[in-house]
Amino acid sequence: MLEYIISKYNFWVYVILLLIGLYAMVGKKNLVKKLIGMNIFQSAVILFYVSIGVKKGGATVPIFLGNAHAAHGHGHAIIDVASYINPLPHVLMLTAIVVSIATTGVALAVLILIFRRYKTLELDEIMKIRKETGV
Amino acid sequence: MATHFAALIIVIPLIAALFVPVIGWWKKGLCYPWVVAVLLVPLISSIGVLNRVIESGPFSYYLGGWAPPWGIEYAIDYLNAFVLVIISVISLIVSIYSKKSVEKEIPEKVVPFYTLFLLLVTGLLGIVVTGDLFNVFVFLEIASLSCYALIAIGRDGAPLATFRYIIMGTIGASFYLLGVGYLYIITGSLNMLDVARLLPELYHSRVVLTAGIFMIVGIGLKMALYPLHAWAPNAYADAPSTVSGLIAPLMTKVAAYMMIRVMFTVFKPVFFIEVIPVTSILTWMAAVAIIIGSIYAIAQTDLKKMLSYSVVAQIGYIALGIGLANKSGLTGAVLHILNEAFTKGCVFLVAGAIVYKMGACNINEFKDLYRKMPFTMSAFLIGAFSMVGIPPTCGFFSKIYLIMGAISADKWIFVAVLLFSSVLNVVYFFRVIQIATFETPMPDYGRDKAYEAVYMDEVPLSMLIPIQIMAAGILLSGIFSSKIISTVIQFVIPVGF
Amino acid sequence: MKVIAIAIILLTGGLLIYGVEDMPGWGDPDSPASSHVSPKYIKEALGKTATPNMVTAVLGDYRGYDTMGETAVIFTAGIGCILMLRKKRKGEGD
Repeated sequence: MLEYIISKYNFWVYVILLLIGLYAMVGKKNLVKKLIGMNIFQSAVILFYVSIGVKKGGATVPIFLGNAHAAHGHGHAIIDVASYINPLPHVLMLTAIVVSIATTGVALAVLILIFRRYKTLELDEIMKIRKETGV
Repeated sequence: MATHFAALIIVIPLIAALFVPVIGWWKKGLCYPWVVAVLLVPLISSIGVLNRVIESGPFSYYLGGWAPPWGIEYAIDYLNAFVLVIISVISLIVSIYSKKSVEKEIPEKVVPFYTLFLLLVTGLLGIVVTGDLFNVFVFLEIASLSCYALIAIGRDGAPLATFRYIIMGTIGASFYLLGVGYLYIITGSLNMLDVARLLPELYHSRVVLTAGIFMIVGIGLKMALYPLHAWAPNAYADAPSTVSGLIAPLMTKVAAYMMIRVMFTVFKPVFFIEVIPVTSILTWMAAVAIIIGSIYAIAQTDLKKMLSYSVVAQIGYIALGIGLANKSGLTGAVLHILNEAFTKGCVFLVAGAIVYKMGACNINEFKDLYRKMPFTMSAFLIGAFSMVGIPPTCGFFSKIYLIMGAISADKWIFVAVLLFSSVLNVVYFFRVIQIATFETPMPDYGRDKAYEAVYMDEVPLSMLIPIQIMAAGILLSGIFSSKIISTVIQFVIPVGF
Repeated sequence: MKVIAIAIILLTGGLLIYGVEDMPGWGDPDSPASSHVSPKYIKEALGKTATPNMVTAVLGDYRGYDTMGETAVIFTAGIGCILMLRKKRKGEGD
């Protein structure tokens, strides 16, 4: 039982985080809260990917620790796959982090435009203003 | 040289986009000819790529020389090459059109506008050309981010519509990314063809099932498929005219391409038909989308809003074709991607021309428009014919294939839906045409004065010619549809159908 | 609104947890993710790219095209913010 929990809890935690973000994105009325929810949501996806990369049994960060010059050329024979964790998910998530920051930036700029127009960031108040002005 | 055509499709517009701010800083007026000239390159290269595929079959291009699945590859087959040509043709036509419209609607933002225009095209081409699941996400985000920014500078309600689009679009992209992650954890690969090779043994796994559902829902959000369409109509209607002329024909169709790719290349069709019944759910959602989209379109008084709801309805056609999952259905869906690109491009550009002349596009103010702008409105008429499905426009042929697909799947209800939707299309398009053509002011006999004469007042040629090319595209793709099907589309259909 | 949101998150969460059941255990060195594509990166990165950091090797070389897209994303976001927020200064001609 304990082993089962240990082998899965990481994925459960990411699901909970993802749901918190998703709830904020869908259920909250304040646009900034929606945006913060979006950040939590994307972080959850990033954590999920990073936890794919983990390798148990003494694996360490994927940086070659020996003498690089000696290993160069006939490198493959020496390097033991089991001693380094999977580098690919980290690469993917470096890209995804950048994407998430860029999206947040654009969304903040859009929020500034909304605030300039309606002088509020509460969704119900904006809807009220839109109804009154007929736009 | 010929082997590198595929890479040029992405690299040239991307590098050219970096140069737009420099050129604009030097001379603002040069941005427009620069963008038009640059967009010729993807057009030529994608036609070259399509030629090569027709001559010698699908091929792949290894970026940086790393063999897949370790590196990223372009896996180009008939479907890719076909959609690439559609995107580059439409974006070139819209870029020619953009000059006057942009100068009028957003005069002080020309330089960043054209930069993002090129980036949007790059993103769309990048999604289609690549053969790597994660790479699709990266280019999807390039396209989406430029799309958000371009929509946000539109008319009054645009920023709020954009924010909704950002939230929904991010959920869609993240769901897709989650699906890719689930596939990665179970197969260990990100290359589409490699994943497709590894997956069939794992179809019983719950991970694969979850991955499939999340990818389809994510793409469905991007595609504005009912009931995930709520963001689309406002975003398309409020964007500047040129932008809606570009994103309405292309953005959702690229998502439709992704859906075909995921359902029939990454997963084998059997997975979505037998293991989980996604296809049958998809057809029902599509049928509702067609009806609801058309009914909402009838209720609108704003031309652009009406056309945006029509996008939702037309996406339903494509989804229906995909969901029927048989030969004629899929042929109809792929042909409808072509048809929709030209038709929606045409009618949205006409809407842009009307906004250019009248400042708004309220349908009730269209009196005498046909006499004021005869050439523009004839193009609109052709677009409307295609939407309704009158031969020889392309809309007729794609609808025929969809109906044949529904018949051979023995689903008569969808035949009824398709025919009924044609009637609804007649209602909302011919209402516009009726007001514009026949509703002239009644002669007022009580007055001495003759009633006001109507003079022809056409849009500039740089707008009129692209509109006419779009209209010609509708007719030509209809007339040559059997040739297009026999040279390209029939090879898109996966084996086993 | 709240009800719909809760329904959506329950559906999503249920599906995700359902998928987790069949996943290889966390940190399992024999899972497909760690045994199909990635071993070759670990073995060859040093020899082929002369970079001791495998993440750098994959980011900059094997999947360098993704990284190009990543920088394009940043560029897009920057230009997008300029497009949306820049106001013309007073006295600026043209």
